[in-house]
Formats: sequence, structure tokens, C-alpha cells
Amino acid sequence: MSELANESSTQRVTTTRPESGPPAGRPQAKARTRILPSPVTGQELVLIGVIAVIWIVLAFRTPAFMTAGSIEPLLVATAPIALIGVGMTIIIITGGIDVSVGAAIMVCSVLTAKALVGGMSAPTAVLLSVVVGGVLGTVNGLLIAYGRVHAIIITFGTANLFLFVGLQIFGSRTVNGIPATFEIFGRGDEGRTFGVPHAFAITVVVTAIAWWYLRHTAGGRHFYAIGGDAHAARLVGVKVQRRTLLAYVITGLLVGLGSCFVIAQGTSTLDQSVGTGKELAVIAAVVIGGTSIMGGRGSVLGTLLGALLVQSVTSGVTQLGWSSQLSDLFVGIFIIVAVGTDLLRARTRRTR
Amino acid sequence: MTTTAPPTPAPTPADTAKEGPAGRLLRVLLTQRIALLAVLIVVVVVWFFVLDAGGYLTATYNFDYMSASLINAVPLAMLGLAELLVILSGRGGIDLSVGAIVSLAGMIFGFTYGEWGWPLWLAIIATAMFGALLGAVNGFLVAYVGFPALIATLATFYAYKSLAIVINDQSPISTPPIQTLFSITRSVSLPLFGQYVPDVPLGLFTFLLPTVVLVWVLLARTTYGRRLYGIGTNDVAARWAGLPVRGTRFKAYTYAGLISGLVAVVTVAQFASARPDAGVSGNGMALPAITIAVLGGVAITGGIGRVAGVVLATLLIVWLNAGILLAFVGNEGSQFQLLALGAVLVFAALLNGLTTRRYGGSR
Amino acid sequence: MTVEQAPRLSLRGISKSFGAVRAIRSAEIAIRAGRVHALVGENGAGKSTMIKIIAGVEQADTGTIEFEGKPVVISSTGDAIALGVATVYQEPQLFPELTVSENIFAGREIRRRGQVAWAEQNAKVVELLELLGLPARYATVPVGELSIAAQQQVSIAKSLAGDAKVLILDEPSAILTDAEIDVLFTVVRRLTEAGVAVIYISHRLDELFRIADEVTVMRDGQTIGTHPIGELDVRKIAELMVGGILSDERPQRAVPDGEPVLVLEGLGLGGKFHDVNVAVRQGEIVCLYGLVGSGVSEIAACIYGIDRPTTGTMRLRGRPIAPRSPQDAQRKGIALLPANRKVEGMFSFQSIAFNISAGHLKLLSRLGLLVDRARERTVATDMIKRLAVRTPNERQPISAMSGGNAQKVVLARQLVERPEVLVLAEPTQGVDVGAKEEIHRIITELAENGTAVLVVTSDLPEALRIADRLRVVRGGTTTVEFGPDATQVDVLAAAAGALDQEEGAVA
Repeated sequence: MSELANESSTQRVTTTRPESGPPAGRPQAKARTRILPSPVTGQELVLIGVIAVIWIVLAFRTPAFMTAGSIEPLLVATAPIALIGVGMTIIIITGGIDVSVGAAIMVCSVLTAKALVGGMSAPTAVLLSVVVGGVLGTVNGLLIAYGRVHAIIITFGTANLFLFVGLQIFGSRTVNGIPATFEIFGRGDEGRTFGVPHAFAITVVVTAIAWWYLRHTAGGRHFYAIGGDAHAARLVGVKVQRRTLLAYVITGLLVGLGSCFVIAQGTSTLDQSVGTGKELAVIAAVVIGGTSIMGGRGSVLGTLLGALLVQSVTSGVTQLGWSSQLSDLFVGIFIIVAVGTDLLRARTRRTR
Repeated sequence: MTTTAPPTPAPTPADTAKEGPAGRLLRVLLTQRIALLAVLIVVVVVWFFVLDAGGYLTATYNFDYMSASLINAVPLAMLGLAELLVILSGRGGIDLSVGAIVSLAGMIFGFTYGEWGWPLWLAIIATAMFGALLGAVNGFLVAYVGFPALIATLATFYAYKSLAIVINDQSPISTPPIQTLFSITRSVSLPLFGQYVPDVPLGLFTFLLPTVVLVWVLLARTTYGRRLYGIGTNDVAARWAGLPVRGTRFKAYTYAGLISGLVAVVTVAQFASARPDAGVSGNGMALPAITIAVLGGVAITGGIGRVAGVVLATLLIVWLNAGILLAFVGNEGSQFQLLALGAVLVFAALLNGLTTRRYGGSR
Repeated sequence: MTVEQAPRLSLRGISKSFGAVRAIRSAEIAIRAGRVHALVGENGAGKSTMIKIIAGVEQADTGTIEFEGKPVVISSTGDAIALGVATVYQEPQLFPELTVSENIFAGREIRRRGQVAWAEQNAKVVELLELLGLPARYATVPVGELSIAAQQQVSIAKSLAGDAKVLILDEPSAILTDAEIDVLFTVVRRLTEAGVAVIYISHRLDELFRIADEVTVMRDGQTIGTHPIGELDVRKIAELMVGGILSDERPQRAVPDGEPVLVLEGLGLGGKFHDVNVAVRQGEIVCLYGLVGSGVSEIAACIYGIDRPTTGTMRLRGRPIAPRSPQDAQRKGIALLPANRKVEGMFSFQSIAFNISAGHLKLLSRLGLLVDRARERTVATDMIKRLAVRTPNERQPISAMSGGNAQKVVLARQLVERPEVLVLAEPTQGVDVGAKEEIHRIITELAENGTAVLVVTSDLPEALRIADRLRVVRGGTTTVEFGPDATQVDVLAAAAGALDQEEGAVA
């Protein structure tokens, strides 16, 4: 055998086994049937069921609930949390977390609101908000990916910094007289087409894209690899730092877009409490949706359902005439139940 | 939740002997968090004295002012110590619910002392015990059921926050007994050498100092402290060494709840009112408490952290904030406090990362 | 086919320091296509660092790397992968939530129009799995649901999925059973026949003679020579590794007789092991020898109350016991040195004293509440002296110590309360030769002072060296027993299943 032949034979020795021939259709066909886990997880089905139960109960208690007039505002209110939740899901899949989104919402909304007051057109204002959000996300991402510090610490820190920036822009006053430029994202007639609120439709589209991306592209799968074992991911050539940065940038961009929804839902006045506590609401939606806080597992579909559940409870509590503050108690209980059943399931699987 | 930093061997004594005085100073400052904080406190205080002398401040920054501002250190340091306990316990230990416990336990204090007329001591004990009970719920979920601490305390944050507001139909309790309680937060002259030093807020002695001493004894001297550091450092090894891993972790959350209960009493006294949103309004109390703990050198991965670090970090932040308030007019001051807090936290975190890579960690 | 050509990969004049520690002083190695090149050396000799440099995880401080005669720079794992360097690490570097198929193609997914071509990927994975003798259905199973041995095989499959030109196997056999090792060797041979250069790292010197073509020995961060395997035998390699003549003299000691202290009768745990029978007398050292996966480590966990046995009984001095937890076992006078020092043994950034006193806090306390620091210091310094731990004082963090010294500290913890029964799981794993000898001496001393010692090990020379009686564990149960005069060949054969018919004859 010549050197040349020897050399070339090393090129593809390992992946194919010519002597065995193609595996004759059967194993391949069998493999095709369940190459990936089911597209909808058990937890997501349960969530759908729970949401359905809540809606049905509400429909019986307050017949007005099942009308478009009740459902549509609910969907609109769900939109910003679910939208930002898409980004947060990706971050949590990589094993990180971002507790600065509430403060980032404040920065984006106050800046955009002021721009709207100044007469900026809707497309430019959306762009402005998204770019600002992207910048804030980049700050987080750079510090976390390249500073190699735990995400929760860094984002606790940047939350303070963002709050400072936001309050400085507010200049100790509320922003008044915001024009209805964003009514296409709002609750009103302008905000929906064929009864579907635009904000919710956009959220569903973004969720669908993210769902496909996370499930079917190499880049998407790498987020899961990083969350599973960042060191091992680096060893197989996953660009861990760049991917980590990307997760926070995506979240920042979605915070920017979500802030437009927030402005659209509000009145013509924006006060300094905007965004407060939203980071925890987003994390709650992600967690209720079945994404593991330890990283490596999760789905944006679950997050959408989680956000919808939280919002259904919130509006349900008010519809039933209870104190609106009681809805937080239910959110807490839902988190415990959702994560608790997951823990128990994992435990029984391990002992089996 | 994984760090990508490769394990670097710690420098040998021979290695450290080679570096010059500047190098040694740098190493001490980076690896000895206590030393760094002490230096930073001196820098901050001197800086504000200089600003004061130059007439840049709206009021005088002197020892009296510094001493009076210590009233803000009481809840901050106490909750910082609560976070110290849970973060030390490892496995991503953290408590987001401390602020909500302060709110809810504060309402209980309002009921017992303000409305039902219990004696003060009994009301305080009841409130602390109630806080411990709320902390025990966290501890049960984390230690026995296996919830990630972030999730469990996020859930209880929501639940406690909601209960605190609903329990008295959204209204604060500010009956006469509560209103007169404000007196316990006043400043007093110290006995014996009181004439030589500024008056000191009473809350410092009645609440903060006992808590600091007890937590220090707990961590540095008791077998419980040893077990806590043990499970935080490596809970698998702790199990194989025969340490009661779950019980130890459970207690850490319970103690954190207990301290939060005491903070509730302090907060009610400070506001002269039991407010249902005392611990959760704005950004709440958990965030600053975690910031203080991290700044004090507590490793978020568990097993590393000291009481002295938390106390010094509190003093740094309190005196920095006090100075900032004088450096700006109106609301600006409180906004720049946010900037300072955020910048200091990010700086401390990056420093922790750097120290870990360069010197194999700080202590 | 002995054509001389440029080596596939050669490294010259390599050095690497981590801070003040010089991991590699000067190393050179040349790997040829179609050969299995073994890299051996004691722990800390610099093998892992060499691999990391080749795999692009670390960068050398000095030296040159040539790939097929051309100088190259490997500054990232991506560079190494692009050159065709595939690495199978000791611990499976896998993603538990992802399927086997995804794991195998992680980082180099087959992409069609921006999407991962799942079907295509799966088909290739099924082939690879068949090659390794694994069931095809594994392809879609999340890796976290597989056994550790299966995970190791998946990581080998993973390294084969790329077009590897250089394959690094870092102690692949450490956690495989004999049958799995046979499969591995078959695969390695098939690869070398196809021209792949294989770097093989192993502590099991005997297996090198089955697979390696040449051997490079490392000692103290230096490569001290490369030899064709034909010029070597196990003893010679061992001598090169330690840099002197290896004394393999077994200390003679009287085998005690008397009533057994610890007796296991028909002990079993689910599918892990069954019908385990062992008795240890006072002052006796009994070894349970078994390859990893034979169930030997699970037996130790049961004695210590980590797991609860499902069948059989344990007796301590004639009384039946059922430890519910390590605390419970400790109270009954049983101590255990865990097998995985870093994970189960060490409190890494805590002091030596902390590490020794952990688990004995009741004893070393006043009123059971406060740590008696004076007594703690006394106990720690005594232990440091007794076990010859090399350290300036008891306040040093254990993470700064070598493997052998750290192991002595973890061992010291087990001796604080003078246990009646001491179970040692892999007592010298990852420990250098000097410390290994000292640990063996300590074990013998303990037995001479009356402790009943049960050593659970997969290191045969160790078992032969210290055991008064040696019992082979195979297929989850205890089999043949040997006395102190057993030979390596006999025991190995028994562990592999050849001596079934002679059972009982030797004991």
C-alpha cells in the first residue's frame, strides 16, 4: 500500500462501515419515529389542562369571562411576560439567570415613552426600545460570559445600575402625555386583527421561532449543552462564551420589544414603578413552564403556558372579586406544585 | 451553574516569598476580603471628610452623622447575616423571601403588640418564632424536598408577600403602642465613655450587636457552624463523613427566617407602623441583603464567608450611602446610592472571579 | 509495512507551568499513524497536562507541535478538533439531558438547510453503537439514563464519529469491565488498521501489552524515553516510572484467628449485588477484589449505611446490624474511607484540621455544642504525625495538597474514633507510589493494633500486597477466596471467570 493511499484512507474511516452495508431501512425507519423526545412535554399538557380548568371555572362563576372582552385583555397582559420569558428561558437553559429584566424594562420604557412624547413614530420607537434593550443585555452578557462570575450576582448588580439609569432618565418625575402611538399593541380595537391582539400574536410568533430554533438547530441545541455541562461543551468545541453572551442579548432585545407592550397597556402616564418585580414574574412563568433552574432542560412553549396560567389566575382572582394581591399567593403555590411534581417525578425515575 | 475556570494550584509558600512588597500588598487585598473592605471603608470616609472640608456636601459629614446613619445598618447587616447563613449552606443556597418574611412577620408583630396588647417581649419572641416558622418552610422545601433554593424562596416570596397584604386587608397597623415604639430606634449616649464618642442608635445594641455576636459564635465556635461550612463546601463528602446534611441545611433557612423576624420588629419600630409592604416595596430587602453578603466575600457556591466580612460590607455601604445623600440634592442622592450599590457589587463579583483564578480563592 | 514517514503528531521541547507549579518541565513525543502509543507515568508526572495541550484545552509555555510534518498552533479545542484530534476523557464529558445521538454529534452536528439532520445523524449513531456492541435504541435515550460504563462507551463512540486522525484515550479502561475492554481493544485495533494514531493512557500496565506498540514514560514532568513494547515488561515500565528498582516485598505477618468482627451473610441489594458472604476477624485485612462494575463498590456503600441491603444480614460481633445512615454506622463502630476522594472525601478549601474533625464534632466538643478547638488541634497534629502527612501545620487547606497527602488526611478522619471495623474503598486511587506504600503501611499497622480491615479495591497488586485473605467479587457476588500466597495470575483468572470449578478448593 502506498503512502498516499494509506493517508487518504484515514479520512473517513470511522463513521461508515462499508462491510455491513446500509442498515436496510428497518432500523432507520424505526429511528425516525422517535428521534427526538415528544414536541410537547407532559408538564405542558398539564399546564394546558390547568388553564382550561381555570377558564371553565371562571366561565361558570362569572359568565362574562368567556367573552372576548375578558379573554383579549388577558392575552394582551400575558404578552410582555411571555415574550421576555422566551429570552429568560434560553438564559435559564444555559444555567444562568437574569434578575435585571425588571430594571431593564424601566430603562427601555422610560426612554421610549419620552421619545413618543417627543413625537417619534411607532416603528422608530420600537427600534429604539429594542436597541436599548439589546445594549443592556449585552452589558449583562459580557460581564457574565467573559467576567466568569455567577449570573445572579452580576444581574443583581446591573439591576441596580439599570435602575439608576432609568431613574435618572425619569428625572424624579412621571412621564406624562404619552400619545397613543403604540395602540396597535394595546387593548383597544386598534390592537387586534380578527379579535387576536397583536401583542399576543407577536409573542406567539416569537415563541414559535424560538421553539424551532432551540429544538432543531445546532446553535439551539448548544444552549442545552452549555447548561448540561459548560466545561464539556467547551471541550466539544461549543463557543460557550459567545453563546452565553447571545442568550443575554436575545433577552435584552425581547425586553426592548416587551417594554413597548408595557407602554401600550398603560395609560398616558408612566411612573417610576414600571418594571418593578417583573423579573420575578418572568422567572415564575419560566419555572412553572417546566424549565429547570439547574440548566440543560426547558422549553419556550412551557414558558408561554406558564405566563398564560399566571395571568389567568391574576385576572381570575379579580373577576371573582377577591383581593388582587391574593393572586401572588397562587403564583407561589403554582411554582411549588410545578417544580415539586417535577422533583418527585425525577426521584421516582431514579429509584426505578 | 458551572464555572469554567480550571482549577489552579494554590501558590506554595516559596512562591509567595518571591513577590515584592507591592505584590504582597495586592495579594493580601485580593485574598483577604476583610483587609480590602477595611481599606475601602477608610478611603470612603476620608474622601467624604475631604469633600466636607471643601464644602461640597449639603450638610456636615462627621462622626456624629456617621454614627446616626448606623440605624440603617441594623436591618441591612441583620439580613446580610441571614443571607450569609443560607448561602454558606451551599447547593445554590439563597433566600429571596427575607423581605417578604419581614413584611409578614411585621404584621404579626403589629397584631400581637399593637392590637392584642401582648407584652413587648412576648410579642418580639412571637414575631421571631413566626419568622423562624416561615424560614422553616423554605428550609423544608430546600433541604428535605430538594427544591433549588432560588425557586423555593421565589415561591414563598410571592406567597408571604401576598399574605402580608391580605392579612389585614391591605392596611398598616399603627396603633398607639406601635407609634410609641419609635423610641427604641432613637440614639443614646453610651454609658461611661459616652461623652467622648457620638451618640449611637439604640437599635444597634438591642438588635444588631446581639445578632452579630450570636451568628459569629454559631459559625466560628459551634459544632453547628462546622457542619454548615462542611455541607456548604461539599455536601456529598459531608454525607459520607456522617454529617446530618439535611438537618443542617434546614436549620440555616430557619435561622435566616428567625433573623428576618427580628428585622421585622426593627422595621415596624422604625416606621412606627406595621406596613404590609415593609420588606418588599420597591426592590425589597432581599436584594440589598444578598449584595451585602456577596460584597462581604460570601461565595455564592457555598462554604466560604465570614461574619466580619458581612459587617464590614454593611459599614462600607451605609457610610457610602450616607455620604452620597449629602453629596446630592433631593432624590438624586437615593438614585446615586443605587449606582454605588450596583457598581460595588459588580466590582466585588469580578474581583471574586479574578481572585479565584489568580490565587485559588479568597477567604 | 514499515515505511518511515513524518509522524502524525510530534511535540518537542514542551513545558507548562500553572502559577508556580511546573506541570511539565520538558517533554517530547512522536505519535505515528496506525500505531497505539501508550503514555504512562505516575499521577502528577504530567500525562494529563500533555493530553490537554494536544487537545487544545491548555497551551504550552514553550515548545513546538508538528502535525504531519508541518508546524501547527493548537490554541483551542476547536483547533485540535479541526486537525482531527479526538479525545476521550477519563470522566465522560456528556450532557445528561441530551440524547446519545445528540451527545455524539455535539459541536459538529450534521446540518441541512440550517437544521440539524436528525435522521441522518441517528443512522450514523446506530452504526457506531453496533460497532461498539451497544443496542441501537440507545441512540434516542437521554445519556443521563445510562449506566456510567455505558456513558463511557458513548464517549468513545463520540470520539469516533468525527474523522479522527489522532485519538486520545485517557484511561478508558478504568471503569470498564473486561468484556467491555475487549470490545474497546477491538475497536482501537480497527482504527489503527485504518491509519488512526492512538494515544493510550492507562494505569493498568498489563493491558499495554495487549494493545500498545510503543510506550513513552513520563516522570516528574519529563518524558524519559520511548520504547517499543517488545523491549519492555511490566516490571521494567514500573521501574522507569518510579525511577528506581521496585521492591515488591510483602511484609510477612501472622494471620490472626479468632471470632469474626464483621460478617456479611447472603447480603444483596436489588440488581447491584447478591449473596455476598465475607467475614473479617479482629486484626485481619480482608480484600474484596473486583473490577469496576462488579458490584464491589456498592457493597461498601451498604456496610456504611449509604444504601440499605434488600436481602441477607450483617453482623457486628455476632449482633445483627442494619446501618440506616453513615452516622448510624459510625455510632456502631464502622468507619469508611470513600472511593472518590475529591467528591466524597474532601472539604476542599477547608483546613486539614477541619477535614479531620468533620464527623467527629460530638467527640471534639464541649457540651456537644462548642467546638473544642484545643482538642481538635491536638487530634489533628497527632494524626499528621502518625500518618506522616507532609504539611507545615494543621491549618493548611487540603486543596493545596498532593493526592497522597490529601488521601492521608481523609483517612485520618476515619481513625479519630478508633473504629472497630474500617472499610477502605480504593484506598490508593490517584495516589503516587510513595504515598501508596505509606498508606499500605498504615493499613497494616491498624490491623496489627486490632482493627478489622476490609479493603475494597480494583487494584490487584494492592490487594495481593496487603490482604491476609482475598475474596474475588464477580458478577455482583463473592466467589473464590485466596490466602496471602495467591499469585496475580490466579486471582486475575478468577476475576475473569476461569476458576469457577475450583471454588472452595483454595479457600
